[in-house]
Amino acid sequence: MERLIEILEELQPDVDFNTVENLIDGRYLDSLTILSLVAEIEEEFDIEIPTVEIIPSNFNSAKSIWELIEKLKEQ
Amino acid sequence: MSYFDPGFIFLVVPILLLIYNLVPKKFRPIILLVFSFGLFIFISKWLVVFLILSILTIYFVANYLDKLNKKRNELIKEEPDNKKAIKEKYKKYKKRILILGIIINVSFLFFFKYLNFFATNTNLLLDLFNIDFKFRIMSFLAPIGISFYTLEALSYILDVYYEKIEADKNILRVALYLSFFPQIMEGPISRYSDTAKDLYAGYKVTYNNFCFGYQRILYGFVKKIIIADRLNFLVNTVFDNYHTYSGATILVGVIGYTVMLYMEFSGTMDIVIGIGGFFGIKIKENFRQPFFAKNISEFWTRWHISLGQWFKDYIFYPVSLSKRMKKLTLKARKILGNRFGPLISGAIALFAVWSLNGLWHGAGYTFLFYGMYQFTLILLGNIFEPTINNTCKKLHINRQNIVYRVFQSVKMTCFVFIGELFFRAPTVKAGFGMLKRIFTDFNLHNTLKSNQLFTLGLDIKDYFIIIVTLIVIFIVGLLKEKNHNIRTEISKKNIIIRWMIYYMLILSIIIFGAYGPGYIPVDPIYADF
Repeated sequence: MERLIEILEELQPDVDFNTVENLIDGRYLDSLTILSLVAEIEEEFDIEIPTVEIIPSNFNSAKSIWELIEKLKEQ
Repeated sequence: MSYFDPGFIFLVVPILLLIYNLVPKKFRPIILLVFSFGLFIFISKWLVVFLILSILTIYFVANYLDKLNKKRNELIKEEPDNKKAIKEKYKKYKKRILILGIIINVSFLFFFKYLNFFATNTNLLLDLFNIDFKFRIMSFLAPIGISFYTLEALSYILDVYYEKIEADKNILRVALYLSFFPQIMEGPISRYSDTAKDLYAGYKVTYNNFCFGYQRILYGFVKKIIIADRLNFLVNTVFDNYHTYSGATILVGVIGYTVMLYMEFSGTMDIVIGIGGFFGIKIKENFRQPFFAKNISEFWTRWHISLGQWFKDYIFYPVSLSKRMKKLTLKARKILGNRFGPLISGAIALFAVWSLNGLWHGAGYTFLFYGMYQFTLILLGNIFEPTINNTCKKLHINRQNIVYRVFQSVKMTCFVFIGELFFRAPTVKAGFGMLKRIFTDFNLHNTLKSNQLFTLGLDIKDYFIIIVTLIVIFIVGLLKEKNHNIRTEISKKNIIIRWMIYYMLILSIIIFGAYGPGYIPVDPIYADF
């Protein structure tokens, strides 16, 4: 989780990723940031995020992104 | 045939509701299916064959994909060590089946919508090279709503392919999902997971759903009959004879067209959502106060939402997150940084989205130009965003300030007007001609002096009615933007106030509606796309 927060902070330094829970709906992460984020997460955690998982509920908070990573690691 | 036909909305639909409520619950979806097919045949006759073929192909493709998923899972259970190889092998099988399903459905769309466009352009090319061969240009009508239901069909098999949903074993439910009568003409493009279950649930039409449904429908009528139909003659006259009008009149025509398009399309959505509501089906909103957007990029998350979402889910992300693009993004980020790194793959995907979005609206260069115009605006917006942010910080401009927000909305609306000008213009060249006249021959003084604006089928009373109605719609939009649920708030008022509002809506449509001699109602614009 710490590494994920680091990646997120590197992409968007002005956002407090420990508290914000509407990263997509509040437009903190736009489509371009998502592209960087997905590529970075895949490389860091050795997983593949299917495009079908790129939905607001999976990316609205650091916690939900982490849960997605955990889920994909298990598969 | 239009949803705005009073005979349809106030006679046919109530009879349908009555029959629907009288029959046992399990037969209600069948009533909806029979009615939907009946309407389709009434409009498109034998072309219903293509709708049936689409239903059959997606039904069998989805079920075959499901079968492959199950077989793959069984094999993985038996040989867990071989998981990766089995997954890869089945992914290939699934891809072949998916591509077959896509090709069949897209070929129908291509045949009806794009064949002539490509034949005409190929003939021009052949002419250019002096090759004595010509493709025959055929003229035929397309099945109603083919652009809409094809995207729904594709989303269904893609969702099954991605294992987002399971394939439906009930072919009648698949058929109803694709043919549901309120959505067939102008969308919205629903996902299977959003509507199919409710469509087949056979919920009873309740008094509340009935009242809410007709409220929403009446609001749609206000937009269409009071505003859109009134502007039809003005828009057609200005666009068809733009060279005889001053820049000021052309600008009024362009603004008129944008307003007409918005009122016609969002008014139709009010009717669609209202009819869906009768049957307890929550059809997703297709508009969310688009003119309150801060920029073009946000505008497209508020206007024709279901189409934008479709392109985002099935084109933008699959293209920009393909293996090659991801590698490109990682490499580019190291060189260009966080902001501009993903811009290359993002721009390639955005180009694909807007080329297809333009062409989806019609086979013509004006639509393609319109798509490229939106692509350029969104791309430039992304490129200059950091610069604008820094400038605002340096100049201490508060971007939440009302003055700055109004400035953003006005700037965005001007960009929308230019886009719609090319969208409606007969040719790209004519579009540039109109734009040129707006900037070089505005001539406001002479336009007012010669009463040119009153030679377009509208008198002062008409302009007044349009402006007052738009103000009312703007206030309703503002309240919605501030999260007020107007329908629920109206339903809490006492019966006298409630019925006063209903009567006002009905009377305003009857008194101020643009019908009778001298008026030609707007054709359902989006039904042609």
